[in-house]
Amino acid sequence: MPRVSFIAARITSLLLLLLTAGFPAEPRRIVVYTPQTNYQVDILLRDGVDYVGVTDLLEPLGRLESRSNGRKFTLVFNGGAAEFQDGKRQYRTSANNKLELASNFLLIDGRGYLPVASLVQLLPRVTQLTAEFHVAARRLFVASTQFRYAAELRHSPSRLVLTFPVPVNPSSVIEKNRVRLFFRREPVVSNGADNVSYSGDSFLLSSSFAEIPEGAEFIASVSQPATVSIGDGGHTVTIAAVLAAPAGPAAQPATQESANHAQSAAQPANPAPRARPFVILDPAHGGSDTGSVLSPSLLEKTVNLALARRLQKELEARGISVVLTRSADNPLTLDQRATSANTSRASLYVALHSSSSGHGVRVYTSMIAPSQAAQTNRIFLPWELAQSPYREKSGSAATALAAECSAEGLPVRTSAAPLRPLNNITLAAVAVEVAPLGNSAGELASSEYQQKIATALASAIANLRGKLEAAQ
Amino acid sequence: MIPRRLQFIVAALVLAIFAMGSYLVHLKRKAESIAAPPAAQALTPPVNGPAGQITLYLANDQEDSLRPVTITSALPSDPGERGRLTLHTLAARYLEKDSAHPLGAGADVRDVYLLDPASAVVNLNPAFAESHPSGIEVEQLTVFSLVLTLKAQLPQLSRVRFLVDGKSRDTLAGHIDLTGWYDVAMVTEAANELK
Repeated sequence: MPRVSFIAARITSLLLLLLTAGFPAEPRRIVVYTPQTNYQVDILLRDGVDYVGVTDLLEPLGRLESRSNGRKFTLVFNGGAAEFQDGKRQYRTSANNKLELASNFLLIDGRGYLPVASLVQLLPRVTQLTAEFHVAARRLFVASTQFRYAAELRHSPSRLVLTFPVPVNPSSVIEKNRVRLFFRREPVVSNGADNVSYSGDSFLLSSSFAEIPEGAEFIASVSQPATVSIGDGGHTVTIAAVLAAPAGPAAQPATQESANHAQSAAQPANPAPRARPFVILDPAHGGSDTGSVLSPSLLEKTVNLALARRLQKELEARGISVVLTRSADNPLTLDQRATSANTSRASLYVALHSSSSGHGVRVYTSMIAPSQAAQTNRIFLPWELAQSPYREKSGSAATALAAECSAEGLPVRTSAAPLRPLNNITLAAVAVEVAPLGNSAGELASSEYQQKIATALASAIANLRGKLEAAQ
Repeated sequence: MIPRRLQFIVAALVLAIFAMGSYLVHLKRKAESIAAPPAAQALTPPVNGPAGQITLYLANDQEDSLRPVTITSALPSDPGERGRLTLHTLAARYLEKDSAHPLGAGADVRDVYLLDPASAVVNLNPAFAESHPSGIEVEQLTVFSLVLTLKAQLPQLSRVRFLVDGKSRDTLAGHIDLTGWYDVAMVTEAANELK
């Protein structure tokens, strides 16, 4: 009998080991908060040192050009420059300062990598922007974007009111005796008094705030079922006891039963409406899927992401809200891209591709045969025909994008193409493929050319806004 | 003083080394000439049958266009074999040195199966997909070129599906979808939007 138990234990541990090995660890990332946008940068671990890609880190911050020549790597950012050498700690800035990184600079396949430990020292020198890095939480605050909160216990009825200098929209988890608020997008940091005990209050027992990997968490311990509400345009978050008689559907509290059953799924704090982007940009490829090799040192995935970031900036400058399916060099399946688009509640999906073949800009819409489209008067559509009801809107969007590119003097054509995931998108959807004007694929990496295309596309999307939103 | 006999032996050995070396070089060249793969160009095999016209829709990457070119060739009577020969001829044109839409070395069409007069399955060889240039436009031109050329040879054709090495494949070279059937009318309409 003991032998059977021993064998069973060995088999179980072996199975557990196999299961653990089957699920790769989540990639570690740094969240970068800037005044314009937030984005994530993947961490590369080499010889026990954490690194981040120079392009991934700096491109969203401004005009970046980088080139590698043998073991040398030069980056030009907003006019300033810095020169690094593969395997060396020393680097030189345009002011001819010789400085030292915390670890050696890495150059892999023409891409430069900086040690994470040197970001705070390096960013102000290269970008002229201040930087504060919270190591444990892997949060990087550029240009003093971080802000603090104020917590105030109010009475009659007893409630905790958190006040923020900028609007927030945290996710909340309401459990039996505590409320947890997660700040994923907001650069909220400690206010210096993070662990507070509220002795004498019948509802609120204590509260704590801590930065966690890639975010921050506020926990309030309570003595009875609680509810969370956001007010003052996102400037305040109130944690209050559930009232015995609900005042109305807008302030519907959690029931006793639901409060007793710990809710494990994160839910957006009620009743703040979820921010709805107008455009979802999808930089095609990423990670091990490099897309086409545009030149020996230029990959399609890199150009697509750079163009997406540029377009994002142009759109945001025009007051258009944008989300990206990926903001770093990470892989996504076509189904993941389609799902992101379909759940984003955006009005327009734009996939971005680049190619060394041909010239100018090509705008593609889905290719669904009329016989297939006729099947779409059903409640449930096949996944591969999901775009059918939106073909007309997509066609209008493609025409508008092409017209604006043409007005900018770019060679352009529109066409239907059997290109996934266009067929799976349930909103107006187009794909844009950018090719050089001349014969050199290197032109695709040029800031001027990318900017010209981004400006043309952003103008067209801005003009489309009213039309698409009205139709929706 | 080196003995004369030893000098003779050393000289003979040196001569033998040179002789064996040159023979080795000769053998290597001969082996290379035997093992050398045929030219990247897919050669059109001799066909028995009456001469007929083949319309090839030739893609041009720089012009972003598809242009019909008519040639005369002996054609087999079997529709599937006729389709295969037509696409084989098209692939051969793309492998020519000055092609305006170059494909990778060894690209060829292995088979064309007709499920019925309206439905064709085209089986590409692995080299066709593996070495195909990647990009929406360049892949689209290839697929449209194959579909239109096949349609020109088999007028009843209404849908075409592509396999690679007998198996289904997600995309041709990372972009254009190969998982479903191509509606020939839809391809014709989309191709009309090209120059």
